[in-house]
Amino acid sequence: MRDNPLWPHLATIVKIVDETPDVKTFRVVLDDPGARENFRHRPGQVALLSVFGQGEATISISSSPTRRDYLEFSVRRVGRLTGVLHQFEEGYKIGLRGPYGNGFPLEELRGRDLLFVGGGIGLAPLRSLINYMLDRRDDFGSVEIVYGARSVADLCFKEELFTVWPKAPGVRVYTTIDRPEYGWDGHVGFVPSYLAELAPSGAGKYALICGPPIMIRLVLQELAGLGFPPERIVTTLELKMKCGIGKCGRCNIGSTMVCTEGPVFNLARLQALPPEY
Amino acid sequence: MSVTTLTAGVISREDLVRLLAGPASEGRLMAPVRVAPEVVLFVPVRDPDAITLDYVNSTVPPKEYLFPRAEKILGWRGSGPQLELILPPELQPLVLFGVRPCDLRAITVLEPVFGGAYPDLYWRRRRELTTIVGLGCTEPGPYCFCVAWGISPVAAPEADLMLTPLEPPAAGGYLVAVQSAKGEELLRRSGVGPQAAGTEPAVLRERRTAELTARFRRLIDPTGVERAAERLFEHSYWRELARRCLGCGICTFLCPTCHCFNVIDRTAPDGSGGRYRCWDSCLFERFTLQASGHNPRPTRAERLRNRLLHKLSYHRTRYGLEGCTGCGRCVAACPVNIDIAEVVADLKGLMT
Repeated sequence: MRDNPLWPHLATIVKIVDETPDVKTFRVVLDDPGARENFRHRPGQVALLSVFGQGEATISISSSPTRRDYLEFSVRRVGRLTGVLHQFEEGYKIGLRGPYGNGFPLEELRGRDLLFVGGGIGLAPLRSLINYMLDRRDDFGSVEIVYGARSVADLCFKEELFTVWPKAPGVRVYTTIDRPEYGWDGHVGFVPSYLAELAPSGAGKYALICGPPIMIRLVLQELAGLGFPPERIVTTLELKMKCGIGKCGRCNIGSTMVCTEGPVFNLARLQALPPEY
Repeated sequence: MSVTTLTAGVISREDLVRLLAGPASEGRLMAPVRVAPEVVLFVPVRDPDAITLDYVNSTVPPKEYLFPRAEKILGWRGSGPQLELILPPELQPLVLFGVRPCDLRAITVLEPVFGGAYPDLYWRRRRELTTIVGLGCTEPGPYCFCVAWGISPVAAPEADLMLTPLEPPAAGGYLVAVQSAKGEELLRRSGVGPQAAGTEPAVLRERRTAELTARFRRLIDPTGVERAAERLFEHSYWRELARRCLGCGICTFLCPTCHCFNVIDRTAPDGSGGRYRCWDSCLFERFTLQASGHNPRPTRAERLRNRLLHKLSYHRTRYGLEGCTGCGRCVAACPVNIDIAEVVADLKGLMT
C-alpha cells in the first residue's frame, strides 16, 4: 500500500495544547520512521487527517518544517470529525496523508519584508511560515504580525504571540480583540480597521493573510489602499476536500483544483478565477 | 491513448458465445442483461445465453467495474492508542463484455483523473485486472450524440478486444480487433479463431462508422463551447436553467465520466471499521458545504453550472479531453428534461 496515495500513515498524538475554548493544537509523530523521514512539508501545505470512524479532514500544518521532530495541527471544533478529535487524548492514533498543496512561495518571499494578517484560527497556516522565518531569520526582512480574535480567550498560540514572537529580532506583533474586555489593555477593534490605523507601507513588502472570509475581503481592500500590488498579496483558501490529490471533484474553482494548485494564491491569481470560493 | 491493433478478423455469433464461455463458467464475466423491461445492467453472468445483445446502451454505465459505487479502501481494528490498519480485500480478474464506444471513451476521459501525479491504486488495479470487450453499436438511441465528440459508434481503442457488428446484425458476425495483450489472451484461451475478413478491416470499420453516423438524429457542434466558462460564467442563463433542476443528481450517477467521490467511514459494533469511497454528486448542497457553514456553491444554479461547465469546459482545460461522451443517459433520465446537447446549443447561441 506504499504506492497508494489514499492510504494514511498512522501517527500518535504526543501533546495536546488547549489554545482557546474551541481550538486545540495536536502535536503528532508518524509511527513509521520511513514515513517520518519522507514527510517534508513547506509552510502553507495541508494534510488529510484521519479520525478513524469519522473520516478525513483537510487541515493546514501549523508547525514549521524547520522543527523536524513532530507535526502540529491546530484544529477548531466545528463539526463531527473535529468534535471527536477534540475528545482524543495523548497516545491516541490518527491517520495522516500528505503533505499536499503548493505552500507559500518561499523563493519569492526570501529577503522580503513581510506583513502577516490573521484572524482567529486563520493564524494556524501563517504560524508555520512565521516560525519557519524565525528559524531562518537572516533570509527575511522585517516582520509585522497583525492578529485579532473575538476575545482574549479566542487568541491562538498565546505563548508565541505574547512572549516568543515579540522578542524575536525585527518582529513587531500587533494584537487586537473585537470588544473591550476587563483586564485587556491592548487594542480593541476588528483586524481590518486596526490595519488601517497601523497603515504599514506596502513598498516592497509581501502581505500574507488568513482568516474568516469577511476579514479577508476587508483586509484586501485596505491593502490595495496601502500600495500592495495584487502579486504581493498572498492568501490561503480553505475548501472542502475529500482526497487532497485532485480526484474527488470538490475543491475546484472553475478548472483550478485548490488541493493541487493551491491552497496558497496571490491576489492576481485569485482575481483570474471565477468568483466561486 | 495509442493502441496497436495486433490482429483482426471476423467471428460469428456462435464464436461470441465460445469467447465468453470460459470467463462465464469461472464467474468472472460481467455482461449486459435485461433485468427489467427498460433496464439493462452489466451484471455477473454464468450463462452467456443470458446476455442481451439487443440494447442501445446499459442503463448504468460499466464505469462501476473500474470505479465502483462504493469501494472499501481500507479497514481498521481497535481504537485510541491501539489501532491498526487492515488492507482492503484482494481484487479478482474480470471480463467486462459489451462496452459501447461512448463508455470506452469515458475510460480515456477518466485516466488523467485517476492517474497523474498521484496514481490511484484502486483504479489502476481494476484496469489491470479487467479485460474489456468493446461492442460497437448497431443503432443510435434517441438521445445519443457520441459522434458530436468525434467518437466512432462502432470502434474504440480503449477495449482489449473490440467487436464491430457487421451487416446484417444477426448473421454478419463481428469484426474483431485485438488491441492489447489481455485481449489476445482472452481470444487465445477461448480457442476462437477469427476468419480473414473479405474486405480490409480498417475499410470495413470506416464504412460502418459512416453508415451509423448518418443515422444519428441529435446533431450538435460543440466546437468552441468551452469558452462559455470564461464568457458566460455569470450569465443569468444558469439561474434560469437551474429553476427546473431538482438537484436529484441522477445525471451524475449515470454519467460515464463523473468521478466525484465522498469518503465515508463505517464502524461496526466491535469497534472495527472500514473506509469507503462512494460516488457523490456536485449537485448536492452538502458536496461543498464546509463545516464552518460556508458554501462556495450555495444554490442549484452554481451547482448545475459547475456540472455542465465541468463536462463542457473544465475537463478540457485541465486535461485536453472532452468531458462528455454523448452517451445521452443524463438527457434520457433527467426528470425535468435538462438536455446537455441543448445546453451546448444555448451557450453557443449566447456567445455569438
